[in-house]
Amino acid sequence: MSNYTLNDINLWALGGTGIFAGLLGSMLGVGGGIIIVPVLTLALHLPIQIAIGSSLVAIVANACTAAGLYTKAGMTNVKLGLLLETATIPGAIIGGFVAVLIPASILSALFGAVLIYVGYTMVVRNYFETQDAETELPVLSNKPVSDLSAALSDSYHDETQNRVVNYKVKRTPIGLVAGFFAGVLSSLLGIGGGIIKVPVMHLVMEVPMKAAIATSTLMIALTAAAGALIYQYHGNLQPFVIAPLVIGIVLGSRAGVELTKKTHGVWLRRIFGIFLFLVAVLMFLKTANII
Amino acid sequence: MRNRDKTVKKSKWDEVRLKNWTSLAFRVGIAISLTLIVVGFIILIYISGFTNIQPLVRLEQIPAAIVISLGILFLLLTPIVQVLLSVIFFSKNRDKLFIGISIAVLSLSAVSLILALL
Repeated sequence: MSNYTLNDINLWALGGTGIFAGLLGSMLGVGGGIIIVPVLTLALHLPIQIAIGSSLVAIVANACTAAGLYTKAGMTNVKLGLLLETATIPGAIIGGFVAVLIPASILSALFGAVLIYVGYTMVVRNYFETQDAETELPVLSNKPVSDLSAALSDSYHDETQNRVVNYKVKRTPIGLVAGFFAGVLSSLLGIGGGIIKVPVMHLVMEVPMKAAIATSTLMIALTAAAGALIYQYHGNLQPFVIAPLVIGIVLGSRAGVELTKKTHGVWLRRIFGIFLFLVAVLMFLKTANII
Repeated sequence: MRNRDKTVKKSKWDEVRLKNWTSLAFRVGIAISLTLIVVGFIILIYISGFTNIQPLVRLEQIPAAIVISLGILFLLLTPIVQVLLSVIFFSKNRDKLFIGISIAVLSLSAVSLILALL
């Protein structure tokens, strides 16, 4: 059991955090964790372990909602998701145990480092931007695919291009290793881990971007659930913190999907990337006990 | 040739069914868990009002905490139920490789679930 004191919390501030995280998360294609954890620790002064546990549950709610829709549309590669989860869930369990062993200041510093990476991808290298599924795929080698890769092959109907996209999955061992680290990071910091899974699936395993995002969402639901259960084991899931967050994130993500159609995504991502750099600075200041 | 086409079509239809099952599991799971969490939250507001509250549960707040906790439990079980459906699906298809993979994922999820319930 963790040792900390808890200040009074404002339910509406928590609900607002959930809405903000869901709204921005769905508009920017990132999990809500990179928003929820800094707000809960920096603004609402909750202990970081409570913030991470609550964030993981909110992420499960968000991912389950999105995974239901993506899978119904046929975009999720369920077999690939299950295979990668054999490495990601052990990572999540290990991350959940490590998180309670290391000091909160180190967790804040690690979180700051991840924010800088995500901010960089948003400002400079936009991996997450959904583009044409087949023409943009990198060609790393022309080796024939293995039996496993053939078994993981899948297809989906791309509505924007009005055609069926067929693809084979390559380099699964690299995907498994990346999946393990994504799982550790997810439980350690209360994020979905899509920042690792999506680029690896798309750039290394040659999965089309839309299928990579959909499959990553399915995996995030499982990984974050496994991580959250470990936080429950340590007594870090507080129902009254989680309820307004979960309600908020589901409402926010639905509104975000509608707003995305009316906004200019690239500039929004760049502004948010700069905002993440500023939040990273605050996390580092918290690490040094300056704020 | 006709048989081969038939096999491809059957396999493709099975993949679609797996995706339908998965989608249904997520949508039903999220509907049940969100309903419980919203009901628990309404009970909490009725008991504690709109003011600031302590995150730790007080005696009079226990009913709200129970309903919300049940909702959270359903929510965290939803992805695990999806894996269980995958085990059933691959067993029906006699796909040994993915029976093994989905059972491995289910076992790993069960480890975290058992730890949470301890």
